Amino acid sequence: MTAEASPTQTFAHSGKFFNVFGLALKNAALTILTLTMYRFWARTAMRRRLWSRAWVLGDPLEYTGNAGELFRGFLIALPCFFLPAIFVFYIAPLAIEPTWAAWLTFTFYVVSVPLIAAARYWMRRYQLSRTRWRGIRLGLASSAWSFAAASWGWWILQTLSLGWYTPAARINRARMMWENTRFGDQPFQFETPHGESPQKGMWWPFAIGWIGTLIGSIVSFGVTGFILSALTTAGIITLGADGMMFSLVATLLAAALTAISYFIAFAPYRAAAMNRIAAQITIDGARFHLRAKTLSLLFYETLGWIFLIFSLGLLTPVAGFLQVRYLLNRLDLIETPRFADIGQSVLADTDAGESLGDAFDLDMGVGVI
Amino acid sequence: MHARYADGRAAIFSDVEVELAAETLIIRRGDRTITWSYADLARADDKNGRIVIRPKKPDTGERLMFGDGYDDQLAAAAPHLMKPRAQGVEGRKTVGALVALSWSLAAIFLIGIPFAADPMARALPAKYRAQISDISWSQVDAFTVQCDDADEATQILNNLAYRIMEASNVPEREDIWITIADAGFPNAFALPDNSIIVTDDLIRMADHPDELTGVLAHEIAHIEHNHIMKNVVRQISAGIFFDVVFGGAGAGQAIAYASVNLAGLRFSRGDESDADSRGMDYLDAANISTGGIARMFDRFQEYEEEAGVGDIPSMLSSHPASRERALAAQARAREGLAPSLTDREWRIVQHACGGADAIASEAEVAD
Repeated sequence: MTAEASPTQTFAHSGKFFNVFGLALKNAALTILTLTMYRFWARTAMRRRLWSRAWVLGDPLEYTGNAGELFRGFLIALPCFFLPAIFVFYIAPLAIEPTWAAWLTFTFYVVSVPLIAAARYWMRRYQLSRTRWRGIRLGLASSAWSFAAASWGWWILQTLSLGWYTPAARINRARMMWENTRFGDQPFQFETPHGESPQKGMWWPFAIGWIGTLIGSIVSFGVTGFILSALTTAGIITLGADGMMFSLVATLLAAALTAISYFIAFAPYRAAAMNRIAAQITIDGARFHLRAKTLSLLFYETLGWIFLIFSLGLLTPVAGFLQVRYLLNRLDLIETPRFADIGQSVLADTDAGESLGDAFDLDMGVGVI
Repeated sequence: MHARYADGRAAIFSDVEVELAAETLIIRRGDRTITWSYADLARADDKNGRIVIRPKKPDTGERLMFGDGYDDQLAAAAPHLMKPRAQGVEGRKTVGALVALSWSLAAIFLIGIPFAADPMARALPAKYRAQISDISWSQVDAFTVQCDDADEATQILNNLAYRIMEASNVPEREDIWITIADAGFPNAFALPDNSIIVTDDLIRMADHPDELTGVLAHEIAHIEHNHIMKNVVRQISAGIFFDVVFGGAGAGQAIAYASVNLAGLRFSRGDESDADSRGMDYLDAANISTGGIARMFDRFQEYEEEAGVGDIPSMLSSHPASRERALAAQARAREGLAPSLTDREWRIVQHACGGADAIASEAEVAD
């Protein structure tokens, strides 16, 4: 066997496109054959492949999770999440007063916001606990509910500020995640250089994204509305039975164009946010430096979306792979931690798999790390 | 043989010498010797170019990473480490069990429960049925307008329906009530509370009372055979299956919502054929020709072709092909029977919901 990698740079991803694509195809076929029940095995196999090709200082990461754990987590989520959901969505509309049923549904959605945040935290805790480098396990300390409660507050501020609190919320979430992340017994820190704003460099790209999306939506709806009225005026379509269908198609088209303008307009922000978050993460005095660029990131994200859309989601892990490889190949470490002093993790293992993470479909087939 | 060893207590690898003995792997690190039995080892890599092995259980974090060129020697000493299973690839038994599990669940939710839908639907408490009816009525109210000039026409249609049901001894005949509604499309549908809604456009579509009577007979058959509640049970079952199996992606919820509103009150083709057949039994028993419903099916066919099947905002689009249904009804048609309504009654029905104005304007156009 010839070593296909063991690269010399600090971080590198040696995954080959067709190697990952082949596994994704096999997973997709078995996922269909098993009516999606294979997804836990598919996810595990894909993570094992992607992790093992992520190199840090010449040594690969290792994914030690197994599908049985994920499946067990799904079984745990069944009574904890699916039974209440079945009651809210299937039984309540038939069994209780419509007003109360509507309130119950509303409450369910409101509670889902912190629950999704908690699920994301549990999922990350599980994935980190199943990730090793040089035999040393990573981990995530603290309570998922603290993160969920804080996330809920930030979500409310984001909503009330029409989105303008998003950069601060993103940094807050990253800070809470990374300050609780451990490599062995060594904690990561999230440190902002003295005198700098934690969101430095993120506000202008965010403003571009916000205003660009607003303009994009106005233009999208304006143009489709204009085309619709022009076609009606020219007598090509009539506002009879067909009119409703054309209006629906036009609305969907405008919504799709708005989504595309959002995706493009916010690309500079996404790159800036990734770079800024990476710059504030430290471990044992060593800093990270990420060189994500708007255009190249947009290119790989677009490629990922094409895979996702045209495979109806079945090849989503390929999209995840493209992004993971892009980021790892642009990540540097400034200074080197004293690895000889970093001991094994003392955090307790989680054995509940990703439970609600699967219910909310959070990980897109790869992982949230 | 050279390799690198991590002891699981610090994040560093050390260079070690490895000996592949008959039953064990021996690691020599300075003066220290570590012995691992091959049977207790597992692979920690994923064919990334570096073979990494570790103790299977417990995972102490110890790792042994081999350099290039040792694959053959390791394969000879511990062949099980080269098998896909050792690298985490699941066996055929696992995949087979998953296929069996998933298709069994599908069979239970998509075949078993629908098969038992009738007794399950009948066992539903009346409160649930009333709740579903309320939801259905709120949907009806959203896109129809109750006609304030249709009392006499409504009574005529209800008398006609009762006569038909009495001839066939339909048990629900005291509970069924027909309502004429003003809507922008021709349709008739049965609701869970045994109501039947007939739209004014459907009445105008009919040229003869027997055509409308045939549609009413069809809807009565849906009620008698409990198709509505059976359909709700089937759709909820499918919704739960899709939600649980697909991980709560929302597909099931959409189905569940649809099952309790009008869009969900579509019946299976089997139910439709059953209602066709039973409806024609009623007509025969009441001495009404099935030729009327045959002509109505032809009109549905023309309507579908004109509007495009996808544009029909009603359950008609899920019906079996109208042409086949028309032929089946025509085959049972009898000649020489009296119309199901008198000329006067038919005129009153036609004039319901502003139908008089519509008929007058059509007459003007014809002139």
